[in-house]
Amino acid sequence: MKRIPRRDKLKIYGDILRILYSEAREEKIVLTRVQLKTNVPFDRLKIYLTELEDLGLIQQEPKLGLTEKGKQYLADYEKVLDFMKRMGLTYS
Amino acid sequence: MDILTLNLLDALLDAFSAAVCAALVWFMIKPYRFTGERRYVGLPLAFSFLTASYILGFVSYFESIPTVDVIRWLSLFSQSYAFAFLAVTYYFSNKQEEKIQLPLNIFYAAILSAIAISYIVIFVPPSFAWPDFKTGDDYMRAFNIICLSYVAIHTLRSHASKPDAKTIWIPLSYILFDFTQYSFLIWSLDSSFSAFVGAHFLRIAGLLIFLYVAYQTFYKSKEEYPKKVIE
Repeated sequence: MKRIPRRDKLKIYGDILRILYSEAREEKIVLTRVQLKTNVPFDRLKIYLTELEDLGLIQQEPKLGLTEKGKQYLADYEKVLDFMKRMGLTYS
Repeated sequence: MDILTLNLLDALLDAFSAAVCAALVWFMIKPYRFTGERRYVGLPLAFSFLTASYILGFVSYFESIPTVDVIRWLSLFSQSYAFAFLAVTYYFSNKQEEKIQLPLNIFYAAILSAIAISYIVIFVPPSFAWPDFKTGDDYMRAFNIICLSYVAIHTLRSHASKPDAKTIWIPLSYILFDFTQYSFLIWSLDSSFSAFVGAHFLRIAGLLIFLYVAYQTFYKSKEEYPKKVIE
């Protein structure tokens, strides 16, 4: 059986932000779908969302989504990942 | 071309390389700053040592400096440490962070000891009976070729596993660096003028490719960030 590499918190945060960003055009973001796409247990997803909200990267009210700071963080995160990919470095 | 003109060309290209390398340190530190993983710290360290090496190479042009021989040795060592850091960064890059703590600590301890010892030996008399500079230079170039070949193969394999037009530039750049060292070795062995000029040309080309890739990623990318598409 293929082992799924363990993700660190930074990568999980990145995955959650990316999914929330892509789901932004939906009228309502369904947490179960986010959970399925990020592949983290529901209770832990709730903890991560609270942490991301405390960091000012997402808002949960009135609608779950990224703040401007969150969008900027995601853009920086993707740029660094892109740079590492171009450099031939693996980030697992 | 006479030897004075060659030395001046060498010094000017060293100064230019140092400026490009210093700019690259700014970009190379980003993966470490963002991920906080120590395995990526070798990247900015490598380019810092390269910068130091080129600055020292430029300074050694001024033959009137009393410590010019020491400066040449320092430049040589700094360059080899840079390539050692690069090789180790790439070696550990595809391994799980939590599994590499001990080997990474051992490597950093070893290389820091080697740096300290080599610099102390260069600076503090009585010094060891060093081989003449040319012989030392040849050995160091051979070591650099081994390190750079490893990095070039690693990045080429990474590109081959997921071919993408964007990821071919860096392997190419490392290959140019590798040929630079080879050309300097040829220059050292048979004083071939074309090898000397070629080495400088290849090095500048390699550095400019690094700068191009970094600048494209962070400032001029045609891609929109954050990306819209989810795989």
